[in-house]
Amino acid sequence: MEYFFQTKQLAVGYDGKAVVQNIEASIKKGQILSLIGPNGSGKSTILKSIMKQLETISGAIYISNTPIEGINSREFSRKAAVVLTERPKPELMTCYDVVAVGRYPYTGMLGILSEEDREKIDGALRMVNALDLKDRGFNQVSDGQLQRIMLARAICQEPEIILLDEPTSFLDIRYAVEILDILRQMADVHGVTVIMSLHELNYAKRVSDLVMCLKDGFVMRLDTPDVIFEEDIISRLYDLPDGIYSQLFGSL
Amino acid sequence: MEKNDLFNNNKRTRYIIVTLVLLFMLAILILLNISIGSVKISLGDAVSAIVNGKPGTIEYDILWKVRLPRMAAGIILGGALALSGFLLQTFFNNPIAGPFVLGISSGAKLAVAITMVFTLSRGLTVGSAMMIGAAFAGALLSMGFVLLIARRVRRASVLIISGVMIGYICSAITDFVVTFASDENIVNLHHWSQGSFSGTAWSDVKIMAIVIFTATVFVFLLSKPIGAYQLGETYAQSVGVNIKTFRVLLVLLSSILCATVTAFAGPVSFVGVAVPHLIKSFAKTAKPLIVIPLCFLGGAVFCLGCDLIARTIYAPVEMSISSVSSLFGAPVVIYIMARKAAGD
Repeated sequence: MEYFFQTKQLAVGYDGKAVVQNIEASIKKGQILSLIGPNGSGKSTILKSIMKQLETISGAIYISNTPIEGINSREFSRKAAVVLTERPKPELMTCYDVVAVGRYPYTGMLGILSEEDREKIDGALRMVNALDLKDRGFNQVSDGQLQRIMLARAICQEPEIILLDEPTSFLDIRYAVEILDILRQMADVHGVTVIMSLHELNYAKRVSDLVMCLKDGFVMRLDTPDVIFEEDIISRLYDLPDGIYSQLFGSL
Repeated sequence: MEKNDLFNNNKRTRYIIVTLVLLFMLAILILLNISIGSVKISLGDAVSAIVNGKPGTIEYDILWKVRLPRMAAGIILGGALALSGFLLQTFFNNPIAGPFVLGISSGAKLAVAITMVFTLSRGLTVGSAMMIGAAFAGALLSMGFVLLIARRVRRASVLIISGVMIGYICSAITDFVVTFASDENIVNLHHWSQGSFSGTAWSDVKIMAIVIFTATVFVFLLSKPIGAYQLGETYAQSVGVNIKTFRVLLVLLSSILCATVTAFAGPVSFVGVAVPHLIKSFAKTAKPLIVIPLCFLGGAVFCLGCDLIARTIYAPVEMSISSVSSLFGAPVVIYIMARKAAGD
């Protein structure tokens, strides 16, 4: 079986101290992996390590069988795009300008956009239903609009893998579902692989091909949603008292 | 698509108008600077003196030896200050960062003062290269302190206050050094340490032009990463910006620009904050490809205007350029802070 993304014996953390150890994951092209687990379980730490924002402690991360340290920054930026929790506050930038930053790996020395770049930007904006926002000041849009713009920015970077840290936090259900549907479409239609952290379990169940449960510095379980979203696994993952699971997720 | 083009055209028209207005102001200021002064020279006389005057006539000497080089210095150094401010604002992601506000100009000033006192007291002369070198070292030292503080405290206000304090400390030590060493050789030092374009010679202009134009070309070539950096460090890195190299380049370029200004003209305050802000508000954009050339032009206009006032208002007595630039620049800083505090 050919895997697009793999980790082997991976340990991630800060200043040489591991937050999560012994991570073994293998994802095929076009699959969506969601990371779930209690606060502080290391979801963001794992994402930062895959983004090369954070050095890994041991083990290796592979994209198309190449260790990511071996991929130079320009090449890596054409493979992987990110959507972060931090909210940029650029002055005097329109939504279009923000999305256009996604074309950085493809433009020339001065970053001037070609006709093709402009088409790709419009295409990405259309894909997230935000074409009408293009001339709006980025600092003036709502949370839901902002997240769509940041996703468009990632899409027009034409990545093979998109990494998202809590893409649905602050969003009401309509916007959250919209974002997840776009990701599903990216995965199914364009073969983009997606790895993201999610707080909301019902979203994770709805969108994922694989779910990684993180607890106490280890991967507690990595499996398909129908296996993961059972009472004993979720209750153990979040230390839920008896009966709470069926109260909250009886309908999941 | 059509709407897009229309919109782009509107933007382009705005950039062109701002550029033309600045060029027009620059032209007017050049003419005023040529003719006004302790000796008034009518424009007609001035032009004929510049074009086919003979060395030795009063007009020719005043124009070629005093006013023209001084004007060239105002244009080049003013542009450099504005760019230096723009780079620091990008680096710290803070609209009130600038070479003077962060104490970098004062650090350069202190290093130059010490170097001058030290060499002059031994009967040696100080070359331009040495002055720039000293100023650069002083600027980097101040910058180092500011960076140390910025690393420990994330709050933007703390950064600015620390910078202002570093500026005060450096200015105070400069005062001690200058006063302590005041023999005849150093009479000019006091004047310089207040900030002034006076006494610029063509040889100075040549050197500052080489250094500053080279640095400006580098800044312009950094337009692309600066644009990405405006979305924050992490996003910039994720699209392929080498953050470490980029940050080092920003520090070096902003320091060399500000150091060169200080070496030749002493500290000139608030240009670095006021000009980039005004340019961005008029052009309604922060795109580096547009803002960088406009900042240079704006800085040139601002400094040329301030210098005109500084040397003519109480002529033949000259005011320090910093007093004039503060008068116009500091209110802009207050305005930016007030707007920021009000939550934008």
